[in-house]
Amino acid sequence: MGKGKGMGVAMDRTRKFSLFVCSARACIGLFRIRSIESLQYRAAALSSGSISVFWALIEITVYTVFYRYAAHREAATLTLAQMVSYIWLGQTLVPLHPLSIDDELLAKINSGDVGVELCRPLDLYFHWFAKSAAGRVGRFWWRALITLGIGLLMPGPLRLGAPVSAAGLIMFLVSVASTFLLSAAYGMLVTAVRLGITWGDGPTYMMMLVGGVLSGGYLPLPLWPDFMQGFLYVQPFAGYLDLPVRFYVGAIPPGRAAATIALQLGWTLLFVCAGRLVMRGRLRGVIIQGG
Amino acid sequence: MAEQIRLTDIQKHFTVYERPDGKWALLRAAFSRKARRVQALDGVSFRIGEGEIVGCIGPNGAGKSTTVKVMSGILTPDAGECLILGRTPWKERIAHVSQIGVVFGQRSQLWWDVSVADSFALLKDVYAIPDGQFARRSAELIETLDIGGLLKTPARQLSLGQRMRCELAAALLHSPKILFLDEPTIGLDAVAKLTLRAFLKEENRRSGVTMLLTTHDMDDIEALCRRVIVIGRGRLLYDGAIAGLRGKYAAREGQDIDEIIAAMYRDMALES
Ligand SMILES: Nc1ncnc2c1ncn2[C@@H]1O[C@H](COP(=O)(O)OP(=O)(O)OP(=O)(O)O)[C@@H](O)[C@H]1O
Ligand SMILES: [Mg+2]
Repeated sequence: MGKGKGMGVAMDRTRKFSLFVCSARACIGLFRIRSIESLQYRAAALSSGSISVFWALIEITVYTVFYRYAAHREAATLTLAQMVSYIWLGQTLVPLHPLSIDDELLAKINSGDVGVELCRPLDLYFHWFAKSAAGRVGRFWWRALITLGIGLLMPGPLRLGAPVSAAGLIMFLVSVASTFLLSAAYGMLVTAVRLGITWGDGPTYMMMLVGGVLSGGYLPLPLWPDFMQGFLYVQPFAGYLDLPVRFYVGAIPPGRAAATIALQLGWTLLFVCAGRLVMRGRLRGVIIQGG
Repeated sequence: MAEQIRLTDIQKHFTVYERPDGKWALLRAAFSRKARRVQALDGVSFRIGEGEIVGCIGPNGAGKSTTVKVMSGILTPDAGECLILGRTPWKERIAHVSQIGVVFGQRSQLWWDVSVADSFALLKDVYAIPDGQFARRSAELIETLDIGGLLKTPARQLSLGQRMRCELAAALLHSPKILFLDEPTIGLDAVAKLTLRAFLKEENRRSGVTMLLTTHDMDDIEALCRRVIVIGRGRLLYDGAIAGLRGKYAAREGQDIDEIIAAMYRDMALES
């Protein structure tokens, strides 16, 4: 009897594991297909890329003036050259962190098609995670390429500088990879919250906006008041672009590199757990509308 | 004939919130909502055996879709038992849904911006279909449903009839033992309906898949089902051969089936 039960549990585990493998393979496949698919939108990337460039140039102009006339220029955390690089890279990374839920998922939530998604033997969280992350990364490539390319080609004081060192560049790339997971995880948390709401986008928009503001995408975090810097460093959204960029321009001491990456991954894990938890709760109550 | 589906006394209610009407309705709605209870299923029981094709009919709002959702494991009923292939759908959702196929006529299960061929490849991973079996099965479905020309198209660009054929292929790719269809012929033209019926019939004959379909088109029922289930106001009102309905409700010899069904629905409304 006890033995039989043990075997049952073992069977259950193997089944769960094979489900996990299938789910993961399907999610990776979905990610690949969808990100390649969205690579097609080159024309859209061209126009959005020029918007990024436009913003970067405006920001650089404003901060150059700001730096020239600031009272405590020597107290600034970043030099002007670092700041210019910060802006170019920031504008490059901003589109990786959109301010809205994935279009397809939102449409499914609004039309009540979420239930239909449950007819497939897939873990809905990771399925959606892959789907939204892929849609984002595909659209991101071209735009990023344009912004970076133009940034590098700019004349002297407007140019995106070289990375501080090879190590800095590597840490930048690692940090960008983990920020991609971080913002996908946060996006999923917001999506999960949206699942239970039938009356609009207000709360989720607020959540996204908080992320956007605290990321430094609007006002670079180094320019925020000094007393906030401690908080700004540990809060999750610094990982969106501030931390990767600081690696690039050499504003994070090497001794703190590992801790900084760990911080990003820690927040990611927290968002994944929270998102799954909220989603499980919401799905229990979710009712497939109409039919 | 082995039993595959057994529903016992399934109950499900929804709470719908009504906006107050009249003066200041919007303002009042912000503070108070009137809740109303809708009993969508009020004790539905039936059994379906292996290889059967059962048609499910009933007036609008009768509870047909709700029944299909409960059986698909995406809706948990308030009370009652449901055993499908030995499992309770909502308790073991993932194990359950890997054994069945579901098609909703009004909703798509394909990935919007993924081409049909890529969707099939994804489903191969989702259901862990072995290579050889996948190649054979997809070739077979692509041929019989005539969707070879649609494979490169993303689902969102398909017309309703084209999409329906692709949905069917997607639901059958993993050779499920049971197929649920909720209004599969809705919005299809005459040719597409005939093709779909022929396909379902052939698929049932060839692979013995059990089917339960809901529809408002009595021709679907006459073409496909030996057995019909009638649901009205959340209850099972009839379960048996279509001829039996004719016998009970036909006012005269050779009456049109739609008239007979209409007479029955009117009769039901009078009863309660
Ligand atoms: N999500 C929901 N919220 C509230 N009430 C619901 C919901 N879904 C269904 N209902 C109610 O439950 C009842 C049964 O609905 P169901 O969709 O099962 O009907 P149906 O038989 O499929 O009708 P139709 O032929 O029009 O598709 C209806 O009265 C409907 O209003
Ligand atoms: Mg219905």
